[in-house]
Amino acid sequence: MKPKVAFFDFTSCEGCQLDALNLDVGEVLGLLGAVEIVNFREVKTDRSDDYDIAFIEGSITKESEIPRIEAIRKQAKVLVALGACACTGGVNCLKNAYKPDELLKGVYGECASYYNTILARPVSAVVPVDAYIRGCPPTTSEFLKVVKAALLGKRPDIPNYPVCTECRIAGNVCVFQRGGTCIGPVTRAGCDALCVSSGRFCWGCRGLVDDPNTNSAKDVLARYGLTLDQILERFKIYNSYSEVSQCQK
Amino acid sequence: MPENSVLIVDSDPASRETAAWLKGAGFKVATAATGEEALSLIDNQDFSVMLLDMRLPGKHGLGVLREVKVKRPWLQAIVTTDHPSVESATEALKQGAVDYLVKPFSPQDLEKLVKDTIKSASKQKTVHVQIKAKQTPARISYQATFVISRDSLKNLVNSLIKEREAIGVRARQGKFAYDKVKNFDDLALDYDVTVNPPTAFFIPACETILRYKLGPTPEITPVTDTTPRVLIGVHPDDINAINLLDEVFMTGNPDPNYAARRQNTLIIGVDVLTPLPSSFAPSMGSYTAESGYDLLLTDIGNSSYMVTVGSEAGAQVLAKYAQVREPTVAETARQKQVRDEALSKYRLFLDMSRDKIPNLLENNYDNPYWKMRSETCLNCGSCIMVCPTCFCFDVQDDVSLNLTDGERIRKPDGCMLVDFSRVAAGANFRGDKVSRFRHRMYHKGKYILDRYGKFGCVGCGRCSVTCLAEIASPLEAYNAIAASETAREKARRTITNTRPQPELYLPHLASIVKTTPLSSRESLFEFRLKDGHKLGHRPGQFVEVYVFGIGESPISLTSSPTRDHTFEVAVRNVGNVTGALHRMEAGAPVGIRGPFGNGFPLEQMEGKDLLFIAGGIGIFPLRSLIQYVLDKRENYGKINLLFGARSPAERVFAGEMAEWSKAPDVNFMETVDKGDESWTGNVGVITTLIPKVQFDPKKTVAVVVGPPIMYRFVINELKKRDLADDNIIVSLERKMKCGVGKCGNCQINGVYVCQEGPVFSLTRLRTLREAI
Repeated sequence: MKPKVAFFDFTSCEGCQLDALNLDVGEVLGLLGAVEIVNFREVKTDRSDDYDIAFIEGSITKESEIPRIEAIRKQAKVLVALGACACTGGVNCLKNAYKPDELLKGVYGECASYYNTILARPVSAVVPVDAYIRGCPPTTSEFLKVVKAALLGKRPDIPNYPVCTECRIAGNVCVFQRGGTCIGPVTRAGCDALCVSSGRFCWGCRGLVDDPNTNSAKDVLARYGLTLDQILERFKIYNSYSEVSQCQK
Repeated sequence: MPENSVLIVDSDPASRETAAWLKGAGFKVATAATGEEALSLIDNQDFSVMLLDMRLPGKHGLGVLREVKVKRPWLQAIVTTDHPSVESATEALKQGAVDYLVKPFSPQDLEKLVKDTIKSASKQKTVHVQIKAKQTPARISYQATFVISRDSLKNLVNSLIKEREAIGVRARQGKFAYDKVKNFDDLALDYDVTVNPPTAFFIPACETILRYKLGPTPEITPVTDTTPRVLIGVHPDDINAINLLDEVFMTGNPDPNYAARRQNTLIIGVDVLTPLPSSFAPSMGSYTAESGYDLLLTDIGNSSYMVTVGSEAGAQVLAKYAQVREPTVAETARQKQVRDEALSKYRLFLDMSRDKIPNLLENNYDNPYWKMRSETCLNCGSCIMVCPTCFCFDVQDDVSLNLTDGERIRKPDGCMLVDFSRVAAGANFRGDKVSRFRHRMYHKGKYILDRYGKFGCVGCGRCSVTCLAEIASPLEAYNAIAASETAREKARRTITNTRPQPELYLPHLASIVKTTPLSSRESLFEFRLKDGHKLGHRPGQFVEVYVFGIGESPISLTSSPTRDHTFEVAVRNVGNVTGALHRMEAGAPVGIRGPFGNGFPLEQMEGKDLLFIAGGIGIFPLRSLIQYVLDKRENYGKINLLFGARSPAERVFAGEMAEWSKAPDVNFMETVDKGDESWTGNVGVITTLIPKVQFDPKKTVAVVVGPPIMYRFVINELKKRDLADDNIIVSLERKMKCGVGKCGNCQINGVYVCQEGPVFSLTRLRTLREAI
């Protein structure tokens, strides 16, 4: 009996769901051979409320999303947060810095009253989460790794070390040495330092490692010429929900 | 030792035939099928020659050789093998084998070789490596150096690029990195350092070591990468790092994946012209490489290079693809000049010989440096990922989606990463930054050395370039630890004897000016030196007082040097010398040696509030300090003076104390252990006074002098009031016969109280277990 899998989207761009299917043909067939997808808005119209594994994309930003995620939690044996918004709250949490009324007016103008909004939060702030597939978007390899681990009943090997480790393995010249700044030193690896390898810097989309030395990272960033506000802006892009509070001390 | 006994260590039954043959030729022969068996035979029996096969079940031949050479250094070992390679030949000779014999060999050859070996056992090894092979004996002369033109080098490299995967140094984002190269012109041969270490090609980022099929009967297939490669432009320090990895992965239980890559990789080294500013390769002895390369280039200008042959494979490709000629004398000199010039550009050095590092680390496991420096560590793993000598790895499984097959892969991992030592149940055996940081430094400077005989750091300087927290350099760590040790040593040896002692044991003549009784047992003696000079002492020092014909006693000085040309000592009548002294009258001659020892830390006390605590005759040495401080009152803050005596009758200097307490800002408190009918003051031991004193622990230096029993209790009370160890000063009493650190009576652990004391800070005392 193949496990039944469902995908659900909350507040997000839905890029993670698309990316989860950004597999080669062999992998798609392998996946379809291994699981039965019963609910996936981006892919199929049929829907079923009988599923074992739920992949949740997006963060919780509306009152109405709370009972919905609770219902999914109740049904799913395994609930997986998929992507930065679901895992850390992601960029949606940037709105938490503004007063809700001002924010709505700023975005929707006269139509502001049509919408309601609550503080944006990651899925784990509302219901318990069993596994995280991090990143904006997550890598397909990590998506497959988590699926395979779930099928085998083991814990996936998700790194708990910073992006720097993978960046050095990739042989990249450190962003700081190139005159830039980067929050790779406190960001969880697993992306093979994709952004830095492509000539950019790390934005921190995979969230912080379990024990980030944010004070030291702050010192490093300051030594490279960033002010506290600039540093926090960097951290906040993906990590403003909770973790950033640690470095404001 | 039996002259003609041979031990054959070989798992191949054919070795039994060899044994029979040697026996027939008149040798005594024993055989062993495994290394372990051989080692136990050697434990019980002496052999003159050992024939040792490289491939043995269990312990590898080279591992056996290493142990044999430790146990029986004189035993002549001939290594035999079916799988000859220059690397293993070099390694075997390095481990002390006298010869390297390729199977099969003729019985006659063997007999001759064994006889020759026994005969020449005392002679020196040849410098040439000879591989005895059946068909064409190849004689490779290592370190032969030729001149190659740039054009010819280009041809050599481009030819190699065509026949194998070529990895070379290329410019990348303003720095240099090892990368695939397609053409000689892409290569950088003059560069400072690469961001990635060349060893990453022997332990790659992700390497499949096994493939398997799952099911009721799983099938497992080992996977090794045998792609022929060439690494071009490896610096000598990195070559030394590769030599270390060879030691780790190719001896004992050889790692098949590493060995396959290593054996299929040619290494073309190049001497450094422009060292990285953070490199300290010369200090680690890795600025040059003696082995580990196939060819080594030195750019001697004029579009020419010197090329040194390091292996048979190197000689072959050189012969095949390049034209070389013998160097002229000037060119050889130029090579040396180029190396010397580069050497002169290094800027960082160990402050000690590297041989001292292991011992230094051994003694500094608890050095506060580790905690202090590791606090800013980001655990980002950069230092270990750029390190050419880091080789630790993780092994993970990757199974296909249909769960029918998969592979085991290994990936670099290392001690600086948080989860490296975490076990499944959740414990993490190096769970804090300090232990991880320290482990890395110990691994580089001690553990690896202990295990493999080579340092785990070649001084390439990559880690200090990449570390954002700027804490990764082993050089900095070792130098800082050494400096703190020197400082500690210096503090231990701070001796403030102010008067020179030209004739060490010859007392200065002095006479008693005045004696004043202090109590029934104690008197104050005032002395004047015969030569009329001041004694020149510091408060807290002592003199050896000599009563002619009776003996010498160490006695603390009781008066301040600010008071007079004379000096005073207060003495309790307790022994021969003190008894005799008490019987003497004004004008009587005495001998004085000293002053000795260090005094109270007057400079440290300046500007501070002072808390004097004296128990009984502890007031004697303290009096010199109190007088001194009162004479320079403006230099010191508030003064608290606590004095405790056993009974009212034993209160010495009571009158003076009352005088002192009248000085501005002096608070005097007194207690007796046991009162009498006349006593109306405090009763109780001196510790009972401490809670009643007002002082600011941050601004206060406490000076405690009294009987030994008092110290522990008073120190406890002071610690309760948050006084720092540095600001608790005590003066200790010991038997001191010579006063100058010779006689040994006064030693506390390794410290001489007469020289490094009698005054100590509590910080110092904490390092002396026998002190209180």
